Amino acid sequence: MATGVGIAEVMGPVIALIVFSASMPILGYIEGKLKYKYLTGVAASVGFSFALIYLAYFLWRFWSSLAKGVALTSPLFPNFGRPLGVEIRVDVFSTFMALLFIGLGLLISIYSIKYMEHDTGLDRYYAMLLLLVAGMVGVAVAGDFFTLFVFWELMSISSYSLVSFRKYRWEPIEAGFKYLVMSTLGSLVALLGISLLYYYAGTLNFVLLSEAFARPDGTLKLYGYVILMLIFMGFGVTASIVPFHTWLPDAHPAAPSSISAMLSGLVIKAGVYAIARGSFMIFKPTAFDYGTLFVVFAVITTTVANIMALLQRDVKRLLAFSSTVNIGFILFGLGTAAYASHLGVAIAGILGLVGALMHILSHAIGKGLLFLAAGSFITRAKTRNIYELQGAGRAMPWTGVAFSVGLLSLSGAPPLAGFVSKFFLLMAGYSVGNAFMNVATSLMLVNSVFAAAYYLRLLQICVIRPRGEGVKELREASPVIVAPLVILMILLIIIGCYPWPLLDIARSAASALLQP
Amino acid sequence: MELTSPQAYIAFSIILLAIGVYCLISKRNMIKTVIGIEVTTIAVNTALLSLSWARVATISHITGAMVEPLAEALVIISIVIGGAIAALALSLVVNAYRHYKTLDLKKLRRLRW
Repeated sequence: MATGVGIAEVMGPVIALIVFSASMPILGYIEGKLKYKYLTGVAASVGFSFALIYLAYFLWRFWSSLAKGVALTSPLFPNFGRPLGVEIRVDVFSTFMALLFIGLGLLISIYSIKYMEHDTGLDRYYAMLLLLVAGMVGVAVAGDFFTLFVFWELMSISSYSLVSFRKYRWEPIEAGFKYLVMSTLGSLVALLGISLLYYYAGTLNFVLLSEAFARPDGTLKLYGYVILMLIFMGFGVTASIVPFHTWLPDAHPAAPSSISAMLSGLVIKAGVYAIARGSFMIFKPTAFDYGTLFVVFAVITTTVANIMALLQRDVKRLLAFSSTVNIGFILFGLGTAAYASHLGVAIAGILGLVGALMHILSHAIGKGLLFLAAGSFITRAKTRNIYELQGAGRAMPWTGVAFSVGLLSLSGAPPLAGFVSKFFLLMAGYSVGNAFMNVATSLMLVNSVFAAAYYLRLLQICVIRPRGEGVKELREASPVIVAPLVILMILLIIIGCYPWPLLDIARSAASALLQP
Repeated sequence: MELTSPQAYIAFSIILLAIGVYCLISKRNMIKTVIGIEVTTIAVNTALLSLSWARVATISHITGAMVEPLAEALVIISIVIGGAIAALALSLVVNAYRHYKTLDLKKLRRLRW
């Protein structure tokens, strides 16, 4: 079921972001003339606020139909409809992701105003940041693979250049080159999958493709699995699923901390979103059995990344590996949902997707918070080694408290957001109730405890221990840096204590994805 | 299999894909890595075009070159994206050369695993 909606209404946030991005060079010129170095940062934050207000207006107008599970669609060019025209498609899942992208983008751009003040070329930085978020929102509202691919590449190219933004140092250049090569190869693999889809169905529209693959027979099923593997591998590079994750632990520490928060909180979630769209939307889990594959990859991802994270001494590298761990948890939720729907256990399917969506949210907020807080420690203490940062949380109390809440949330401590999402993921896994899922869920439970071990170790070293030598005369960061941290911390606590409205939204998004 | 049939083009794109991936895996020079990315991009673009041609050929039994608008538009956009990626990759190569005075990827690997 779908109803029409104006193209300007859906694309409003994206257009606002692109317009502000395009005006950045002029603002940068004015900034140079005025000798006021915060102009571009403030303008970028205003741009994000515009996009957020526009999205809120859109939700206010269309929420009543979206909440009923209706997908709003609109052709991008009015005279070209299906099957060949490109299309925008918005449902609850899309708006959930778009709201997350723009909201966290706004907080990160506010943080960047002060954090990036000593860097040059800030007009380029904010132009790329706005384009990155515009690309991700475009991926979230895409209604066919054409639109998804174009916005995907917009997002990828801006994130490559943001990773290597500090080009006067060796590390960002090397990590950026590695990220570029791996991620480009990944999107080419995904494009190969898309071209096979086009060969079979003659369209790239999600709805028409799902009709084409609704009742697969023998050869079509095999063909579908090949395409599914290509799409999973292609988008899995950006989502950092384990055999394809090696760019991530290099790119996250090399990027400026605001960009690490962006990559870890949002860009890899866009990869997960593309995988979820490509699998659940087109290949219905009742007909195709890919849940097993997802669950196996999820367990491998979590285990390998956990072991790697335990060995790290660099705080940003540790957090980067922990992002891969959490992608494993999200993938586990998706896999459980697919597996359960294939077996016909509808309730476990819904629970798995609700857990995955809640974990996307709680990990985006929590890991964004951790990277921003770590960035504020690192700017003051000039080191990334966790033993040299000993007791830094005591020297900078606000940042320290926010850092602790983020760590506790990711380790799954009860009154915080991470507990809610992990609880739903594990409950979904156990409620399928066969031997395979019981073993897999138990492994995830063990991994979750493992992860809590190094989060608590980080908490103990950086916040609880007395101040070390390097952090004796640290001062608290500026209020502009602390404000986004406090907002994210409060969000974590609110979601943890009162998750019901969000669970309702996640449930309607899940049933929209799983409907036959 | 005639040389002007879509199957020949699909086979050609598979060979190109193999060459591109081999180049990406085996070459140590950064410029050659960028060339590998470009060859792979061209291979996938060719695959997309020839697959859409094969589809039209099976449906309508028309011989000769055929136009599929959506596939062509996607390929044109993909070529533009490939150009942007090549430009960015080459600018990274220039910066890497300024740091190291070499383009050898093996000498660059200061990143730990």
